[in-house]
Amino acid sequence: MERFAQKILKFKWIIILIVLVLTIFFGYQTKFLTINSDIISSLPDDDPVASLYKKIGTQFGGNDMGMIVLESDDIFKTEILFHVKQITDSLKITPGVSSVTSLTNILDIKSTVDGIEIGKLVDEYNLPDKQPQLDSLKKYVFSKEMYKGVIISEDGTATIILFTLLPDADKQAVAKDIKNKIEKLNLSEKFYFGGLPLMMNDISDLIKSDVVWLLPIVFAVIAIILLMSFKSLIGVLLPLLTAGIAVIWTIGIMIITGNELTIISNIIPVVLLAVGSAYTIHVLNSINHYMLKDKKQALIKALVYVAIPVIMAAATTAIGFISFVFGAYLTMIKDFGIFTAIGTLVALLLSIFFVPALISALSINNKEIKDYPKEKQTILSQVILKPLVNLLFKHPKYTLTTWSIFLLLSIGGTFLIKTSVNMADYFKKDNPTRISEEVMQKNFGGSLPVFVSFKGDMQSPEVLKMMIKTEHFMKEDPNIAVTQSVADLVEQMNDAMGEGKSIPDDRAKIEQLWFLLDGQEVMPQLVSEGLDIGIIQSKFASVEGKEIETFTAKMNKFIQENSNETCKIELTGMPSVYVKLNNSLIKSQFSSLLLAIIMVLLIVGAMFRSISKGVYATIPIIATVIILFGFMGITGIPLDIATVLVGSIALGIGIDYSIHFISGFNFHLKENGDADEAIEKTIMSSGKAVIINVISVAAGFLVLLFSQIVPLQNFGLLVAISMFGSGLGALTLLPVILILANRKGKIIAN
Amino acid sequence: MKTKILKAIVTAIILTGSLFSANAQDANTILKKMDDVMYSPKDLTGKNKIVLIDKSGKQEIREATVQQKGNNKRMFRFTAPSSQAGIAVLSLPNDVMYIYLPAFGKERRIATSAKNQNFAGTDFSYDDMESKPYSDKYNSKLLKTEADVFVIELTPKVQSDYSKIIVNINKTNYYPEIMEFYDKGNTKIKEAKYTFNKVDNYWNAKEIEMTDLKKNHKTKMQMSDTRYDTGLVDDDFTVRKLKQ
Repeated sequence: MERFAQKILKFKWIIILIVLVLTIFFGYQTKFLTINSDIISSLPDDDPVASLYKKIGTQFGGNDMGMIVLESDDIFKTEILFHVKQITDSLKITPGVSSVTSLTNILDIKSTVDGIEIGKLVDEYNLPDKQPQLDSLKKYVFSKEMYKGVIISEDGTATIILFTLLPDADKQAVAKDIKNKIEKLNLSEKFYFGGLPLMMNDISDLIKSDVVWLLPIVFAVIAIILLMSFKSLIGVLLPLLTAGIAVIWTIGIMIITGNELTIISNIIPVVLLAVGSAYTIHVLNSINHYMLKDKKQALIKALVYVAIPVIMAAATTAIGFISFVFGAYLTMIKDFGIFTAIGTLVALLLSIFFVPALISALSINNKEIKDYPKEKQTILSQVILKPLVNLLFKHPKYTLTTWSIFLLLSIGGTFLIKTSVNMADYFKKDNPTRISEEVMQKNFGGSLPVFVSFKGDMQSPEVLKMMIKTEHFMKEDPNIAVTQSVADLVEQMNDAMGEGKSIPDDRAKIEQLWFLLDGQEVMPQLVSEGLDIGIIQSKFASVEGKEIETFTAKMNKFIQENSNETCKIELTGMPSVYVKLNNSLIKSQFSSLLLAIIMVLLIVGAMFRSISKGVYATIPIIATVIILFGFMGITGIPLDIATVLVGSIALGIGIDYSIHFISGFNFHLKENGDADEAIEKTIMSSGKAVIINVISVAAGFLVLLFSQIVPLQNFGLLVAISMFGSGLGALTLLPVILILANRKGKIIAN
Repeated sequence: MKTKILKAIVTAIILTGSLFSANAQDANTILKKMDDVMYSPKDLTGKNKIVLIDKSGKQEIREATVQQKGNNKRMFRFTAPSSQAGIAVLSLPNDVMYIYLPAFGKERRIATSAKNQNFAGTDFSYDDMESKPYSDKYNSKLLKTEADVFVIELTPKVQSDYSKIIVNINKTNYYPEIMEFYDKGNTKIKEAKYTFNKVDNYWNAKEIEMTDLKKNHKTKMQMSDTRYDTGLVDDDFTVRKLKQ
């Protein structure tokens, strides 16, 4: 170990040079950083529901649909119709837009005695401008099921303009273009934008502003706390420098391996700043502790002492992150786990190699390292730690009881935990995207796409009849307002032929009705070119987990009963994906936590060469996780794609406090053999480090409260609470257990 | 000196003025000549092959016999594919169509005022299929004269989804070679390529290839066995005839 430390100092310039070169290299890569706000792309390919959804979205263009809602007191005014026309015309000629459907260009098909009349619902070249005309248009629109609640709200105050994008269009660029164009029209009505392309654009804007705003704040907050704790420039600069370099490397590695920034991975920098600075702090602490005349010797001694605990701390933290890889449904969560773990290891390497090298290099130029002020934290010792020691020794049972009550309450709270996978919930209540989503839900049957895919001969009467049957079944659900399929169109055309609204029994008739449908703009959205796949397109109006679950369960049962060889039915769409995601949240939470606990137990047990100490170390952290979930249950913070990460992260970071405590305890126990005295000494010495660490990490994460994305706000709050919980656990629960265990049977040093 | 300048200016003005009017007249005359080439036969019969080509290059072929009288009566009778054989479409003036589906054994009247809709799955809109003289529907302007063609810009006189059509007209024979259709954002959205051959005394559009540039989809309309002026009468374009 000592030779290893000497090597580091010997090759300090090479180390510094390598770090410098790599940092410049990775820093240059960040130029190519792209943002991927498309949550669909994060769905796993090996899940049939998700892959079908992706396939249908691409093949039938359902994922590329955008919506603009125009709201006013009454839509049936010439001026407003004119505005709808303006927008429609402007969208039509926007590059990347494939088709537009609105009140002013929708086709109106009327059945007459001897045939059909196809025309525009509104003559766009001659908009109705007299009250009777407007009134009769209104009456006609509300008399037809295909318009009411589809293109116009039931109360007539809102209308929707739907558009689809070309498959190869740059969706975000088109979305931005459209928004700009509508803003430029400067119309007086209220506008709401919805649909995945526009939502993605919004999310990506939020991600950008989050990264730009939050990072400097986290930097500043951690710097202030470090300054207050260490009152030394190096104590501030070095931890931030290494954490900053770790961030740059990690982002650089992400880019080189072809990954993009997602709504989850955009917190990697924040997490790394908070977590990564800790290792350097430990190394600095240790170096300062061994202030010797011979600086080189001091560095070597410090490194020898600190290397193992720091490696352990980083390893356990990395395990916390890695544990996501095995349970997560979304690929972006897996990626987050992998890259944060990589970042943690980078921070570790830097703190062991780069920090001593840099200090050694600097101390040649600067005669003196800034002194680490030992007495500075006496206030902390006198006001907090000393009374704490007294309390713990006087009332160990009360302390334990208090913890037990807390834990029982929390266990009760865990039963109240809700899950949330609704994308609109990710935005703050006053965010325009969220408001839009609510307007869509209220007036136009929501924006959660539902697809039922039918694989079979699309011109066979049986398949088309099954589609109609399925649509009837779907519409029994109060959250399904409208369904659309090629079977509907065949029925309509059959009606136009004067045979009534039904599917003909004769295949030849269907084939000839197809002649009337061929080339209709909507056809590629409903049926594949080879006529072997047809889909029912619909929207689900509710985002309530229960209603979504009931619907998908009902549908899956129906499909099981009706799907067969000649007509294979499958359900997909956002509700199905939400159900999967929802189930996976709980499952992945459980599996990643279990994995993390076992790994941590093994590592800590091996480190102390005692399973019982491993168990002792994990008690505060398990208690913290229970309190965490209790808190989520009681406050109503849902388990979602970001908060699902907290448990394992809390475990990975929080275990460090217990490790520090137990290793301190071991050290002092060996010193004088008395467990009680060892406990007191440990609290008095390790206590300070734990408290400073808790405050700096928690403060770093609390900055996420300023995030624009709600799950990230919750994530920040919950990690901060976990840090306080595990810190408190390490300083109260753990000593009390040791005290009580010692009273039962003396603990002796091994 | 002054008078000299004045004279020069006046001459210039007169020259430009006459140039402008010559230009306008020219464009209009050229367009009228094109209309003559396209619409002078009294009637036409022949075989029509419709080839639909999607973006991956996959082809779908339909065949029909065509009869046309004047520029507003037309009968399509499909012969292939077998599932569509016997389907007949009769177009009459004033945007009225009758369609006959043999599987149903009856015809229906289809009145459409939505002319931007495509005809039976092709890339031709009802507007494109209409055989009204271009000089009636469009104002014309000569953009340039090239070695073989006049390049003329057409702007609609009436309601249209197009903002303009740029047409290349053959200099010697006055048939169109290329038409480019622009939407109101001035983006080229469709392109038609014409191939003409001489049948009897008329120039016959042997093939029209229409490409929808947005959808990347193509339709080729190929005429064969074309005969002109065989003496079709109005009675050949009735609902009764449709069902035969």
